[in-house]
Amino acid sequence: MFGLTLIAVAALGIVFYASARSRAVSLAGDNQQALHSRPNYHGFLAFLVSILAGVAVLVVVWTAWGSFIESRFIAHILEAQPELSPIEVELVLNDARAIAEGGIASRTDALRTQIATEIGSQTQLHHYGTMALALLAAALGGLWCLKSAHLGWRARNRSETVVRRLLLLMAAIAVATTAGIVLSLIFETLNFFNNIDWQIHKFLFGTTWSPLSGVQAGKLDPEKVGAIPLFAGTLLITIIAMLVATPIGLFAAIYLSDFASARVRAWAKPMLEILAGIPTVVYGFFAAITLAPFLRNSGEAVGLSIASESALAAGIVMGIMIIPFISSLSDDVINAVPQSLRDGSYGLGATKAETIRQVVLPAALPGIVSAVLLGISRAVGETMIVVMAAGQGANLTANPLEAVTTVTVQIVMLITGDTEASTAAGPAFTLGFTLFLITLLMNVVAQRIVRKYRETYE
Amino acid sequence: MFDDTKSTERVMADDDIKITAKGVDVFYDKTHAIKNVDVDIQNRAVTAFIGPSGCGKSTFLRCLNRMNDTIDICRVTGDIHLDGNDIYAKDVDPVQLRARVGMVFQKPNPFPKSIYDNVAYGPKIHGLAKNKAELDEIVEKSLTRAAIWNEVKDRLDAPGTSLSGGQQQRLCIGRAIATAPEVLLMDEPCSALDPIATAQVEELIDELRQDFTVVIVTHSMQQAARVSQKTAFFHLGDLVEYGETDKIFTNPVDPRTESYITGRIG
Repeated sequence: MFGLTLIAVAALGIVFYASARSRAVSLAGDNQQALHSRPNYHGFLAFLVSILAGVAVLVVVWTAWGSFIESRFIAHILEAQPELSPIEVELVLNDARAIAEGGIASRTDALRTQIATEIGSQTQLHHYGTMALALLAAALGGLWCLKSAHLGWRARNRSETVVRRLLLLMAAIAVATTAGIVLSLIFETLNFFNNIDWQIHKFLFGTTWSPLSGVQAGKLDPEKVGAIPLFAGTLLITIIAMLVATPIGLFAAIYLSDFASARVRAWAKPMLEILAGIPTVVYGFFAAITLAPFLRNSGEAVGLSIASESALAAGIVMGIMIIPFISSLSDDVINAVPQSLRDGSYGLGATKAETIRQVVLPAALPGIVSAVLLGISRAVGETMIVVMAAGQGANLTANPLEAVTTVTVQIVMLITGDTEASTAAGPAFTLGFTLFLITLLMNVVAQRIVRKYRETYE
Repeated sequence: MFDDTKSTERVMADDDIKITAKGVDVFYDKTHAIKNVDVDIQNRAVTAFIGPSGCGKSTFLRCLNRMNDTIDICRVTGDIHLDGNDIYAKDVDPVQLRARVGMVFQKPNPFPKSIYDNVAYGPKIHGLAKNKAELDEIVEKSLTRAAIWNEVKDRLDAPGTSLSGGQQQRLCIGRAIATAPEVLLMDEPCSALDPIATAQVEELIDELRQDFTVVIVTHSMQQAARVSQKTAFFHLGDLVEYGETDKIFTNPVDPRTESYITGRIG
């Protein structure tokens, strides 16, 4: 019904487009230049005004009316059976809806059937009433445009204003969403700190992570929320990943940009970019099923004991995942170093290697540094690989052959575990907020480095 | 190679030839950019290549130090001899050749390094200085020769890109001189400069011919007339006319040359 009304409003808008346009044409008569705005703008303005009025009325009336009748049903149910709890009221209402729509209810009794008939009539009224109001608003908006139109009518300026405000609205939605997410992170974090009696140092510097053991009534034990093992695990895996990704990615980029022939480049670069398109969950089970057992077996062969879930396996695979980021971004910045610099160096009798090492790489360095920092941000926030391959126990170690856990893994464990959400959300949000701050800091630093050291070449 | 007695001898003999080019053709893919060009470039003189845009003068210049090797689709045939040795011979390393035949480009292209390191770059990679003191001396001498020492001696650590366009170009000339080349190729070195900087660079070019063989590509006929002793006029890949600058500008043989220098084609 909602969708049908939308379509009807849109159809009405198109009708107004056509009529406002032809009205503008007839207003001008033989002298089309007398019109301030082209006929198309007259039409476009009528279209915009009628559609926006219709949609606005539709959305507002639909929700307001809907919640009004719902509150009346709840009042009826409570009138008939005042002893019901809110969840039971909800159940009765759902059953009544199911009966009204001819579905299957959990129970059928007198109250439910009565509410069901009420729902049937009220809903119909709600739907048709809203539709009528929305169409009326759209028609009024369109007619107002038709009536206001005259030779000097600034339809172009007005429609541009409407479009500009619509764009502003969209931008505001994007910004507000971001702000909302950050605010909710901050409030949940404060709530969590409140739950551990503001012993923030216990969270930041404690070494025991087991936040949900022995939890009662939402009160957390400050001794068990030490996040150091998580940060240490994240750091360890990130270091391993960057040790894999930075040299391979950078040297691949140098090869592609300065040594590879056009033909090699034409297929090698897309291949690398395909690597970036592999879902991380695939990397994750590759790490867990292929690489980890291989590492363990080869470790055994040389007398090393490597855990079947190890920081090494997760780090290596994460590094492979990050290679295309580093190589693709570095390749772009190395290519952006002007040919004139290379020519200048060759012209002095420098070899290719000397040119790349002493001229091209220094010129591209800011871009390469920011590529590496972006890679680190990816590594810190990466989840699927570590969930599958790094382990779950909060184990404080610097040994890459043992299982470690990361911030992201613990967030997954907390949210998907069977502790009720209100208790688990606190530590999870706090970890998420910490992660957000680290990534934000890294991105800001990367941008500043790029801006500070960027050489401007024409 | 570098004969010291010659530097005192200021008399120019016509048979004192530094570079000989015979039957040079250049192709970009299928495009025939240079057609059967013969040129003898005189030692310790300034030779100017003039001609309308796209006539191949820059392409030919880049053949003289094998810079065209860096372009995949470019193919050079014919003979080019430097001091009687074929520079396109199999055993010639283009890297070593370019140390002897330096190049200055159209747009100033200082490296993203300090002024000092820009000049020290060439001497360092060729091992011309045994220690820091010698390197300092080379840098000072080169910048002095490039007529920019007084402007930058107090800020040798500043990035080369912080200089003005004219200063950057003189820095690039100083950088090219620092590797002690025998020939200096200049590809429109003044086209990005204002008239004052242009005058400074032209004066510098005139001085440089005491020690170097200079080949300059230029759009400006006045510039060619001011700085060069020999002029070669290129048109559509052909070398139309080559001779003493005075003669080319006052009494050209070929009608195309005359049209160009009087401004009818270009």
